[in-house]
Amino acid sequence: MNRRSWLAALGALLWTKPRALAAGPLIPLDETAFRQMVAAHRGKVLLVDFWATWCSPCREEMPKLIALSGAQKHKGFDLVTISCDEPEQELAAAQFVDRQGAPAPHYVRHAKSDDDFINAIDAKWSGALPALFLFNREGNQVQEFIGETDEKVLETAINKVLSV
Amino acid sequence: MKHYFAAFLFSALVAAAPVYGQEFKVGSTVADFSITKLDGSPAQFSNLKGDVTLVMFISVQCPVSNAYDDRMNALYQDYAAKGVKFIVINANRTEPAAAVQEHARQHNFQFAVYKDENNAVADKFGATVTPETYVIDSAGVICYHGSIDDSQNLARVTTQRLRLALDAVLAGKEPPQTETKAFGCSIKRVAKGT
Repeated sequence: MNRRSWLAALGALLWTKPRALAAGPLIPLDETAFRQMVAAHRGKVLLVDFWATWCSPCREEMPKLIALSGAQKHKGFDLVTISCDEPEQELAAAQFVDRQGAPAPHYVRHAKSDDDFINAIDAKWSGALPALFLFNREGNQVQEFIGETDEKVLETAINKVLSV
Repeated sequence: MKHYFAAFLFSALVAAAPVYGQEFKVGSTVADFSITKLDGSPAQFSNLKGDVTLVMFISVQCPVSNAYDDRMNALYQDYAAKGVKFIVINANRTEPAAAVQEHARQHNFQFAVYKDENNAVADKFGATVTPETYVIDSAGVICYHGSIDDSQNLARVTTQRLRLALDAVLAGKEPPQTETKAFGCSIKRVAKGT
């Protein structure tokens, strides 16, 4: 291995290692904390993404949501991710959202009763993932997308709420 | 005050809105429906049901559903002997009969698994996730709808929701909980026109 290759390898190591270490713990969120989090985003259009590492459509969807968030940020759009992983998967979840570059902070569902938590978010929601909830600038939930969601449908819905 | 009541009523109606053209819910009677055996031949609910019937939606690929494979086998072992009929259904458009057959073989399922073509049965039940269960009594009335228990991690299970419901219905009683949240992967439905 020549000197240039060594330097490239060292550079790659330095680039990768701090990012892996930077994956901080996810912030636990119960029903009350969820409502407070939504209230803190008043004035912005907010998309809340409930996901889990075991949910393949969730993992596939997240980069698209992050790209959408980046493109619409200047219009007052925020994306929040909430992992529904079990405690054993929390580290993997933290590393995943960090690696994807999802807007921080990153949350994890920690409720005394998952049923009560799900009902508090939306009584119609069964808890199925992926699940996206769209809030307007007043902090009111205006639409939900349960299961795999067409990107165009989602983008249209977000633009509609942004334009109000 | 009237406005508040109207708003409340509207919210309640929206919250109670059926999903996917749901026909069957807790307290309602299940009308006969058709599902498909893995060899492609049809089967009727009316021929499969018993005094107590468990309808359970499962998946081949969903990690949550698969976390319950052993628990499903244990359920069958414990409750088939008590006369409970099992109707286990795969409604995912992404999981063909051959994959369902292979999955059942790998996990040594003692119960039959049926395909729900075009998720017509999942629509009738309003099933949205895997695993999701329904307990039906001898009169054909849904007495319990929801999850198998309260954690996909067996070590953290505190309430055996489905077992409690089956025990109650077998004893002719109302389950302690009639409706719980059936957490898991969304059922992969076919696109349907509105």
